[in-house]
Amino acid sequence: MKRFQIRTSLLVALGAALASLTILVWRYGADTEVSSEKIVVATVVGLTIGALYSLSATGLVVVYTTTGTFNFAHGGIGVFSAFVYWEIVENRTGPELPQWLGLLLVVLVVAPALGVAIDVILMRRLRDAPLVVQLMVTVGLMVFLLTLTGQIWQADKIRGVSFFWEGQGFSIGEQKVAWHRFANLVIAAIIAVFLRILLFRTRMGVAMRAVVDNRDLTALNGARPGALSAFAWALGSSLAALAGILVAPEVEFNPTNLNSLMLIVAISAAAFGQIRSLPLTVVGGLLIGLLESYNREWIDLGADFPFAGRAVAPIVLFLVVLALPQARLSVGRVSNNLRPIERTTHVWEGAVGAVFIIFMGWAIARGALHFLVWDPGEWSSVSLNKGISAMVLALIALSLVPLTGWAGQVNFAPLAFAGFGAFLFLRLGLWFGVPDTGGTGNLVWLPVIGLLCAPLGALLAVFAARLSGLYLALLSLAFALITSNVLFPHPQVFPRVHTFPSPYLDVGLFRIDFDSRFSFFMLLMTMFALGMFCLVVLRRSRYGRRWVAMQDSQAAAATVGVNVIWTKIVVYATSSAMAGMAGVLWATSKSTVDFRDFDLLNGLTIVLLMAAAGMSFPVAGLFLSFQFVFEGLAERLEQTGNVGFLVWLLKDFLAKFGPGMLAIGMVVNQRGAIFEMGKGFAPLLPWRDDARAELAAERATKREAEIGGLGLTEPFTSEAVVGLDSALGIVDDVTPGAGYRHGVARPMESTHD
Amino acid sequence: MTDDALVAEDIDVRFGGLQALTSAAVTARSGEITGLIGPNGAGKTTLFNVITGHQVPNAGDVRLAGRSIRGYGVHRRAQLGLSRTFQKLEAFNSLSARDNVLVAAEMTSHTRKPGQLTDSILARVGLTDVAEITVGTLPTGTARLVELARALATKPRVLLLDEASSGLTEEETASVGDLLKQLVVEDDLAVLLVEHDMGFVMNTCSHIHVLDFGQIIAVGTPEEIQNDKAVRGAYLGVES
Repeated sequence: MKRFQIRTSLLVALGAALASLTILVWRYGADTEVSSEKIVVATVVGLTIGALYSLSATGLVVVYTTTGTFNFAHGGIGVFSAFVYWEIVENRTGPELPQWLGLLLVVLVVAPALGVAIDVILMRRLRDAPLVVQLMVTVGLMVFLLTLTGQIWQADKIRGVSFFWEGQGFSIGEQKVAWHRFANLVIAAIIAVFLRILLFRTRMGVAMRAVVDNRDLTALNGARPGALSAFAWALGSSLAALAGILVAPEVEFNPTNLNSLMLIVAISAAAFGQIRSLPLTVVGGLLIGLLESYNREWIDLGADFPFAGRAVAPIVLFLVVLALPQARLSVGRVSNNLRPIERTTHVWEGAVGAVFIIFMGWAIARGALHFLVWDPGEWSSVSLNKGISAMVLALIALSLVPLTGWAGQVNFAPLAFAGFGAFLFLRLGLWFGVPDTGGTGNLVWLPVIGLLCAPLGALLAVFAARLSGLYLALLSLAFALITSNVLFPHPQVFPRVHTFPSPYLDVGLFRIDFDSRFSFFMLLMTMFALGMFCLVVLRRSRYGRRWVAMQDSQAAAATVGVNVIWTKIVVYATSSAMAGMAGVLWATSKSTVDFRDFDLLNGLTIVLLMAAAGMSFPVAGLFLSFQFVFEGLAERLEQTGNVGFLVWLLKDFLAKFGPGMLAIGMVVNQRGAIFEMGKGFAPLLPWRDDARAELAAERATKREAEIGGLGLTEPFTSEAVVGLDSALGIVDDVTPGAGYRHGVARPMESTHD
Repeated sequence: MTDDALVAEDIDVRFGGLQALTSAAVTARSGEITGLIGPNGAGKTTLFNVITGHQVPNAGDVRLAGRSIRGYGVHRRAQLGLSRTFQKLEAFNSLSARDNVLVAAEMTSHTRKPGQLTDSILARVGLTDVAEITVGTLPTGTARLVELARALATKPRVLLLDEASSGLTEEETASVGDLLKQLVVEDDLAVLLVEHDMGFVMNTCSHIHVLDFGQIIAVGTPEEIQNDKAVRGAYLGVES
């Protein structure tokens, strides 16, 4: 089995090597761009950067193999550490330290402390959590760390980290090699050897690898799982920090950029080693470094694809995940999912909810409820714009409900579909509408665009069909990155100068315009309510049932005759169509659309908030308004001249850190907010006898657990009695366990004076 | 022999260096319950997985009503009338008992009214009272019955039951046995079951196949099997 997997990686490596060779040879024939000198330079640069990638990736692999957690916050830890290093060494906060001392301080103290804190506070509680929750928490942590870094070191000035041994080097023949580049290679090699010895040659390493397979058994054999996992996290964080600090001088030094380098490349390299094999991971890192370097040097796709270089690692990731050995429909593997034991919403409840949402949208925006709350009345156009942004995101988020919430297909790329929809709308506008504007504005096109977007989802489904869990998440991640770095930045996709006309609906004799902000907001509200209602109906249909069944057990779904692959294609296409239509509304809500709108982090924020709210509930989409609600409130406070602290709390803290923190909060609240809210709220509804019965049953079990109705939850043992006695000071000379051994409680004799 | 609803022949399965099945063969006839027994690790579940298509064999052929279904996917075999339950419970945990069965009924192409089919099956298996309860919260025994009901809703011609009685009480086991006997006669169904409860096997099955170390070591009626030396050897570790 293992040999087969290694063969797959080697196959991909061979393919990549062949591809680069072909390009080199082709370019060599084409012109004289390729000289042996240039090849040496590109190779040296590629290898030395690749060494850092390897370093970062091995950290990811160490944490995964020893704790079973795939750490999406790996890059975030590296970024944060690199900025701390900058603060200490470059900004000279505190005593002046030489570079090497600052490096040691961050790598051996700050980063490990952060890692241990993450393990103790968060990850330990997630040991038995479903994969989706684990993923969301680490992604949330990543977003949190990036926000934190961005808030502490605001983008108000340009920062830079200098190289070690700046400007010094040695020569190989004609070629000068800087010391720091050489050092990268040496450090990566030393670390790789060190890790290899640690994990395979030491008792501790063997225990670390054993813990992930069977924690309890390892503990029985005398290992301390807690200490081991803390050590693994400390080690992983150190590696992230080291890689982050060493990469920093090479790149534009800002959190997002550094993170994408640290994380995406590390993920790709780790996937190359199947997140298991350290040697292959190192090879993967070097390979990506080389490919990026060769790409920069020779495969210049020109101004049309300005960010294609960033797609090298995602493309490798995509290919590696696809080349992985085929996962069979596994029988008997418990799908550890924590879908809420939910009651399927009735159609009439969906209808009432939809009408209620439209009404509330109208009432709040019109200020009709101002007698109830302190809200001073009708929304300004600023607030309306915020409302519009929120509802657009909510509509995109709805697309995740059938795909991830029901069918269990983790998708990090909702914005890839939305962006595709926006693009199609723009194109159709150019072909069929007014030439100089984007889109026709006519919403009759919406369903057409939905239909056109469906094949894109189906395409991803074809790739994703045999994957599940982590690899599925990684595939969608790669997909999101490839679209947002290669496809969308192309100037023909979202031209710089274009304005979307205000939308209207032209059907039959009627033409309804949505040219005011309020009417557009109400259009979106209605769309959301309609979408929600449709989802409720869909969930009750045979398709909804089939999708949920497939998530529960693919093997069983197939044995009752469900074609799993085809079903996945349908659900991906549905989701893609929904996101595409939402993308059109997003485009029309803004006058211009930028490719940056569809980048990975924005998409992840949507996924995070949905997960924290509860992915299987359509109404969770309203959670996307979260950030805007806080911002809106802050503005109101500012207008009324209210306290600065509250404004800061709302605008700079809650609105910014909220998504990450909510996702991290899934550590405690794994089923999502809507479920917990519903649990408390449903018994109040007059027709929900079932919820009241459930509540009563729950209370009854709780009462039963209390022994004898005394409010005790544990049996009263003789040891406890002794402990109690000694605590109360009513113990005479009876040593614990001697007189009370048989659990016979003696009559209490007070020794108080 | 036209009444052989299911024939598996010369099945070889290797997992790396481990030979899980060696030219294993099993036959199930319509209107009969056939048993497949053997010690732990003999390859019973692997043989089931080969028959239903969850496991691709290294060699061998499976025929359903005389027609080879080699290379068919799991769902196509199901549509051709092959259904099963699982050793480790594989119910749709977040759906209600009724929806579990309904998903299967809706996939049955010749059913005009999946709702009716579902309700009649639920009644027959005795699940009407728990129809609206989420299966994940039901006790294991009841969830097994849901799996059985779900398998029946596909209107199978061949039904494979992997340890149908584990987790059931004695009474439940007896009633499942009665139900199966009824079903095979009324619906002309072929049932192949893997079972550890020997009493259950001897009472319900008309033919029994014994699997040991991936090979069929005996085939016969319950009486023949009980008196078979090789079988005793396999179970009791006596040299035969």
